[in-house]
Amino acid sequence: MFGFLKGLSVTFGQMTKKKLTLQYPEVKPEWPERFRGIHQFIPEHCIVCNQCARICPTSCISLSGNRDENKKMHIDTYDINFEICILCDLCTEVCPTEAILMTDQFELATYSRDELYKDIHWLYENHVKHGNYQQLQAAKVQAAKEAEEKAKAAETEKATVEASTAGSDKGGDA
Amino acid sequence: MSTTLRSEEMILNVGPQHPSTHGVFRLVVTLDGEQIVDADPVVGYLHRGTEKLAEGLQYTQIIPYTDRLDYIAAMLNNYALVHTVEHALDLEIPARAEHLRILVMELNRIASHLLFLGTYLLDLGAMSPFLYVFQERERIVQLFNEISGARLTYNYMRVGGVKWDAPPGWIEKVREFVPFMREKVKMYDKLISGNEIFLHRVRGIGVITQEDALQYSLSGINLRSTGIRFDLRKNRTYSIYDQFDFDMVTAENGDCYDRYYIHLEEIRQALNIVEQAAAQIPDGPVLGKVPKLIRIPAGEYYTSIEGARGELGVYIVSDGKDKPYRLKFRRPSFVNLQILRKMLIGQSMANLIAILGAVNIVLGEVDA
Repeated sequence: MFGFLKGLSVTFGQMTKKKLTLQYPEVKPEWPERFRGIHQFIPEHCIVCNQCARICPTSCISLSGNRDENKKMHIDTYDINFEICILCDLCTEVCPTEAILMTDQFELATYSRDELYKDIHWLYENHVKHGNYQQLQAAKVQAAKEAEEKAKAAETEKATVEASTAGSDKGGDA
Repeated sequence: MSTTLRSEEMILNVGPQHPSTHGVFRLVVTLDGEQIVDADPVVGYLHRGTEKLAEGLQYTQIIPYTDRLDYIAAMLNNYALVHTVEHALDLEIPARAEHLRILVMELNRIASHLLFLGTYLLDLGAMSPFLYVFQERERIVQLFNEISGARLTYNYMRVGGVKWDAPPGWIEKVREFVPFMREKVKMYDKLISGNEIFLHRVRGIGVITQEDALQYSLSGINLRSTGIRFDLRKNRTYSIYDQFDFDMVTAENGDCYDRYYIHLEEIRQALNIVEQAAAQIPDGPVLGKVPKLIRIPAGEYYTSIEGARGELGVYIVSDGKDKPYRLKFRRPSFVNLQILRKMLIGQSMANLIAILGAVNIVLGEVDA
């Protein structure tokens, strides 16, 4: 008859728990290392082998390159159409030189569909300009600074301790 | 003069935009007062033509598309495809890869069943279980995010193994998850199973008889709720399921309560498998010897696995090229949905959502 009271005890137990919600636009989630976000493309690494464009299940990558006087291939254009990209990671899997990578950037909302065609420059700067890369970098710099200050403080403390002991020694002598 | 009141039938569209259809699914119901006289499911609003698209893709390229069929149990879909390709090529899979597959598949089964519990209770009007299950599901999703880099569309399995080995500390996290989840299942049992309002709502509703279940070729929990012992992990063992000790859960009445309860019990059994697999996982490679370009010899191949919703099969017709000539997914949600009309006729309108929810369909899979 009072089976629901048993359930209510669970409900009351839940009240004291910590909230799990993340205040998303202000606080960004921390993704694991393997997270498959929007690509970053590094033109210097690319050898224009065309493997990424061929493996892509939705054929959203289009690229072109040319050969210089030393018969080395250089990339000219590299576009990804994020209207149809499904972020499956097959392009980074086949890339022999790690020219195409996946970042932790995941926000792609735009006001028009045309803006979803991303070119070589956007893809190169993607990792640095967008996402929480800068936050993470700032946190890293901050942490390094704090560690340095701590080390310095410890050193000065050590020095003062030494100085004071030395001073007391001196005082003892005098 | 007749004493009965002559009433007219009414046609009502439930969906396509209805929160309790779990997607875009339309049900044309003919009502006589509150009684359902006829019900006609209309599917196809989410049809993307996966089977046709697959004909133009290499086998590795099809894997991300299988993620999007049953999107709450994507690991199982991944496995269904690569299992058939491996069966056709007669490949040998490294032991570590098989163990990792079992781990992620059973964790995904737990996540899928949790989501069923939450959404089913939400359909019946209980809000909080829906929010509770997302806490536990979040932990599983985080584990998947760490191992495969995505929260929903994993694209983790490969022909011959898996894409990545587990990151450092991942197996330990899975080991820690098992006792945590056992406690939570106990909590759900306490929270839901004894609730009189819930019991009145689901006991004896939407009964499926054994004959009907077999005639409509139901599979998975819908079939097991009628008392028929059929679980592909036991009856037609694939992968390394024969190495693990777990029970097949069945019930007798075939009503909505039985289907709910088997979901809860199967989470417990899946946890047993996860515990054993995490304890005995060996070291070694995670990808077997696979040719660079996968070509299946000409012929027809069919294998099926126990998906979260039933028998999930992949049928490949190959003409010897690197792309399938024809690929057919046997989607359990689609097959299980066919019995809905028979279950609904004669019921009252208020029971419609309770019955539809217990069949546990995912529209991405129904429409493919």
